[in-house]
Amino acid sequence: MTVMQQAPAPPAPGRRGVRRALPRTAAGRVRALAAAVVVALAATLAVTWAAVADARDGVRVIGRDAGPQVVATGDLYFQLTDMDAQLASALLIGRAEDLGVRRADAIARYDANRARAGAALLTAARLADERSEEETARDLLSGLGRYERLASQALLLDQQDAHAAGPPSARVTAVYRQATDLMKLDLLPKAYNLTLDNGTLVRHTYEDRRSAVRAGTVAVVVTGVLLLALLVALQVFLTVRFRRLLNPALALATLLVVGLTGLSTVMLLGQAERLRTAKEDGFDSILALSRTRAISNSAYADQTRYLLDPGRADTYEQVFFSKSQSVLYLRAGNLAAYNDAVQRQSGNGRYLGFLGVEAGRQGIPGQRAALARVVVGYRAFQADDRRLRQLTGAGERGRAVAARLGEARGFAAYDASLVRLAALHQDVFDDAIRDGEDGSRYWEYGLPAAGLAVIVLVLLGVRPRLAEYR
Amino acid sequence: MNPSIPRRLAAVLAAAALGAAGCGIAGADAASVTGKDELVIGVNRDQPGLALRTGGTYAGFDVEIAKEIARRLGVAADRVRFEPITSATREDRLTSGAVDLIVASYSITPERKTRVAFAGPYYVAHQDILVRRADTSVRNVRDLRGKRLCEVPGSVSFPRVTRERGVAAQSVKADGYAGCLAKLQGGELDAVSTDDLILAGLAAEAAKKGGEPLRIVNAPISDEPYGVGIARDDVAGCEAVNKAITTMYQDGTAAKLLRTWFGPVGLKVTTTVPQFEGCD
Repeated sequence: MTVMQQAPAPPAPGRRGVRRALPRTAAGRVRALAAAVVVALAATLAVTWAAVADARDGVRVIGRDAGPQVVATGDLYFQLTDMDAQLASALLIGRAEDLGVRRADAIARYDANRARAGAALLTAARLADERSEEETARDLLSGLGRYERLASQALLLDQQDAHAAGPPSARVTAVYRQATDLMKLDLLPKAYNLTLDNGTLVRHTYEDRRSAVRAGTVAVVVTGVLLLALLVALQVFLTVRFRRLLNPALALATLLVVGLTGLSTVMLLGQAERLRTAKEDGFDSILALSRTRAISNSAYADQTRYLLDPGRADTYEQVFFSKSQSVLYLRAGNLAAYNDAVQRQSGNGRYLGFLGVEAGRQGIPGQRAALARVVVGYRAFQADDRRLRQLTGAGERGRAVAARLGEARGFAAYDASLVRLAALHQDVFDDAIRDGEDGSRYWEYGLPAAGLAVIVLVLLGVRPRLAEYR
Repeated sequence: MNPSIPRRLAAVLAAAALGAAGCGIAGADAASVTGKDELVIGVNRDQPGLALRTGGTYAGFDVEIAKEIARRLGVAADRVRFEPITSATREDRLTSGAVDLIVASYSITPERKTRVAFAGPYYVAHQDILVRRADTSVRNVRDLRGKRLCEVPGSVSFPRVTRERGVAAQSVKADGYAGCLAKLQGGELDAVSTDDLILAGLAAEAAKKGGEPLRIVNAPISDEPYGVGIARDDVAGCEAVNKAITTMYQDGTAAKLLRTWFGPVGLKVTTTVPQFEGCD
């Protein structure tokens, strides 16, 4: 009772503001504190629930929904480039049967790419969330139709001419030029931009969800600390007011809240980190490497076009050079100088371009070694290129064609090493998504259960004291 | 009971709430061009056809593209200010924030990408060749062997023909491409080689003034992706500019501008959207 008098209880007119709202009796104060505990508990559970939902949504969108779909549309670019590459190969091979590949092989691969490109385009169109993106997807579809018409026309004309391996007739070349220009100037840019747009969608989700999870974590800590403070206040009040030792039920509730808040915080921080890993170490690299592969494949096809269409050899050599530089950039004035620089470039030398960005990524087991193998493969691919151009320059186009279609295995090995590097990032991505899904599993049961337990404990702690007033 | 406990609690709560609010604000990007209602855009001032300043006004393809981008970003025409820049100053002007965007036949290169970000390209120009119309001997870059070719010190165009392509052309030096044009018309040299849009601008200028008619060879020997320079951290702005460029091509505005500025001189322009660099 002395405690009550310590807090001076002035006459009613003196009580102003918040104080006026405070209950006057001890029982009233206990009830008010208990009610505040329940409200704070509800707030803690609500913000934790919301943060867990944000984390789950982020993991779902990046791991199962838009993320994989965007990667699939990224492959659209590769399939389109490869269609044009296979068309060029088919036209260059002619009726030759003694090379590494036959015309029918190239046409079969063309058809397979066409089917996959169609499916990827559908996915991309489904992902489009703005009018301009839908329009791009529609333009792509109609452009693909035009490309196919030109391609079959070129193949038909070429069949009628039935030539040996090497450049086809002028009329075939003229049709092929139309087809490849359509592909290069119209279809490929649109396919690439569409993937960029789709990637934006994933980036926005990622940034939204990740900052929501982090803000949610702060809210969990804040409401958790408030709840703890109220529980401690209640404990102190009961101890002092009723001259008791520790109230065991309240103490247990307090411990439970400490545990819950701590666990929630650790779990949410972990989820935010897994989202980051999935997006930055997984998704970003997978997409970038898919582009690297497509651009490399297209550069490889520029070698074919260089042999196929001597009238445009300069242009095709120049685009080979600029594509090579976008993959692995080293300062060089021309292709020959670039080739020298690539051969001289040591394993840990600095370079820019797609592979340069990949070299800047760290902390993924095995990535360094896998990237080193990619660079070695790239060097071999460029060495093949040097030889091919030297043969052509020396007037030995026939041997260059044979080398391009038969012996030169550099590109295949390089391409395979890129696929292996991408697979490493895919593993990181899959692990992060799986951990993300496991990390918040059963929380939808755990949270209400913990909440119920705290309420029961608080009631158990408070009821006997309130009973003293009955 | 100590009455100050609720107060302390309130103080803790308030501090925590402030902390949470602070985190929320940190996520927003106040510096993005998407949030501005006026823009300063860096352009060239001495390139006919692309961006030429006469008196206080700028005219040309780059200038029109810049205006369209600003309009599509929601900035009124009278809120757009053009600022002359040079190749020596453009990166500093952008990083210091003196200009918001650069639209100035600014080729995207991996080295430049380490300092600034690029939206676009809004057009992929190609190095090409300009000759007198009567001269039919030049059909591709190899035909420049032994010809008198304009060399502008500091420009990469001449070495691209002689060193990169290994074509032994004779050098005739001039100050800037306007100087090259005068010498080409005066018969002091045979060919000028640089970006096709610059050549087309020069040819259009020459046609306006009369004199010897000129011809663009249409034999491209390089890709020059003209990007829109933007601050490196403004990813949202970069995406918005890309969207503006996309719609500019979709609704035919870009094709119309290309034909207006470069069509009359026989340059084959590409009227489909270029492949973007990407913003991240």
